[in-house]
Amino acid sequence: MLKIDSLTVAYSDKVVLRDISFEVASGEILALIGPNGAGKSTLIRAATGVVPVKAGRVSVDGQDLTDLSPAQRARILAVVPQARQLGGAFSVEQAVMMGRTPYLNWLGQEGEADKAAVRLALEQTCLESFADRQIAKLSGGEQQRVLLARALAQSTPVLLLDEPTNHLDLQHQTNLLSLVKNLAKKKQLAVLMALHDLNLVSFFADKVALLVDGELRYLGTPQEVIRAEYISAAYRTPVEVVPHPVTGAPIIFPQGMLDQ
Amino acid sequence: MIRHRPYLLNTILLLGAFIFSVALGAVFIPPETVIRILASRLAWLHVNPDWPASFSAIILAVRLPHTVLVVLTGAALGSSGAAYQGLFRNPLADPYLIGVASGAGLGAVFSMALNWPTNLLGFYLVPAGAFVGAILTVVLVYNLARVDGLVPLTTLILAGVAIGAFASALTSFLMLRTELQLHRAISFLLGGSPIAGWEPVIAALPYMLAGMGLLSVSGHMLNVLQFGEEEARQMGLNVDRAKVFIIVVASLTTAVAVAFSGVIGFVGLIVPHVIRIVWGPDYRRLIPLSILAGGSALLLADMLARILMAPSTLPVGIVTAMAGAPFFLWILRRAKREVFW
Repeated sequence: MLKIDSLTVAYSDKVVLRDISFEVASGEILALIGPNGAGKSTLIRAATGVVPVKAGRVSVDGQDLTDLSPAQRARILAVVPQARQLGGAFSVEQAVMMGRTPYLNWLGQEGEADKAAVRLALEQTCLESFADRQIAKLSGGEQQRVLLARALAQSTPVLLLDEPTNHLDLQHQTNLLSLVKNLAKKKQLAVLMALHDLNLVSFFADKVALLVDGELRYLGTPQEVIRAEYISAAYRTPVEVVPHPVTGAPIIFPQGMLDQ
Repeated sequence: MIRHRPYLLNTILLLGAFIFSVALGAVFIPPETVIRILASRLAWLHVNPDWPASFSAIILAVRLPHTVLVVLTGAALGSSGAAYQGLFRNPLADPYLIGVASGAGLGAVFSMALNWPTNLLGFYLVPAGAFVGAILTVVLVYNLARVDGLVPLTTLILAGVAIGAFASALTSFLMLRTELQLHRAISFLLGGSPIAGWEPVIAALPYMLAGMGLLSVSGHMLNVLQFGEEEARQMGLNVDRAKVFIIVVASLTTAVAVAFSGVIGFVGLIVPHVIRIVWGPDYRRLIPLSILAGGSALLLADMLARILMAPSTLPVGIVTAMAGAPFFLWILRRAKREVFW
């Protein structure tokens, strides 16, 4: 279980996250939503230790992460960043093997356990046939799956995803999120995910946290948080929300579209 | 077997170049005689000495130490070039282009101005001066070139060229204002090893072996750094420690090469690229292979330097620059089309 407790983050004087607290249970997906600049990415970066925390703490299963070394932390938290063109000449398998960094010896040599973890991660993300391909020659959706496989290879109880569906088309968005949801259930991972598309959130997330100006405004199930009055105020855009005819999940529209 | 093939191939190339380098000179000594003379020095081998005594004197006192120093220098430049390229995530980072070699040259000449190496202490002062010059330059260039935590190609080259030019200007000034032996200092700066015999080899060897050994174990750090510093940290790398480690070791290795063989450009650029194109981007083998291939490449350049204007010898830095500049342009063209980086 991932626990964020009174977390405050500031860049020099400017407070970007103020007193955030919530929990993500194992097997659960919590989606972070909010307008641009609300602090979603900062929250993920603070949890991984890339951004210094001013007050509060992040813990997993009762263990405080604050004083852990990067390697110790990377055995507990794995991150799926937004796909970027870096390390393009490495093969998919080499890139996924780098997720084993916190387990490798000082020479960076991989053992049987590392190879097995990489094989499993490639299998879970349906990338076995891509193992020898160069990352740079893959499509955006495939590259994002490589980053997910790399994070899975870290064998952590907690998975953080920073807007993983950016630049993906509808098919790849749903494929990736279904994959994450299945893995969360199967491997009992606690998943924290920043996501822009609110309809995807209401379909895939178990819980939703709405951030505005660095503060946690609402926390609850998609039905509880994705409500027209909350979203309209947070995004300063009038919206309407109707329930899905079958599942009841909230579906969101910019206001005016339903009238036409 | 397939995993070891690149090492085997590069070792054979290096050994071949080594034997030829020792064979080559005013008096050509046949390669098989070279091998027999070298073998005769091994205690457990009994070789019948059927060659003129002058041959073994030439080889053991002159050509062998020269060749060993060239191999060490090339190996040091090749491996530190690979490390800089990985650290800056930039295909054009080479000890020469980013100004580190010029900074080391300034440091070396500065310490020569204090104490021209006439004794063994002098040998150790020059590399120390070169090391300080190299570290100061790399830190300065890195901070000047950095934009939002990345080191883009354009700013890196601009900062490197500017700082390198400044260091070269200071070096020239220093050479004019102090009572250095000008000819020796100039040929030193062009890469024409001014010091002969075993002394520089013995002085350089510990630094070189330590530097290259430590670079060889930094392969995995460099691999992970290719994904950016933030992701590297999230994958469990202690990024700050890794960066300092690689900068210090690569600069030490470059500095020793410069201190004993002068400022030699392009070896650190070309060698890692050729290795990367042929055997892929994994730094865990890119660095050891750059050590082997760097030695062969500089030996080849050194042999050309000795042959082209025989009986006089060109500074090897001129040969590497002549071969390296066109290669540099080729990389620029290729980088637009293909992913090998």
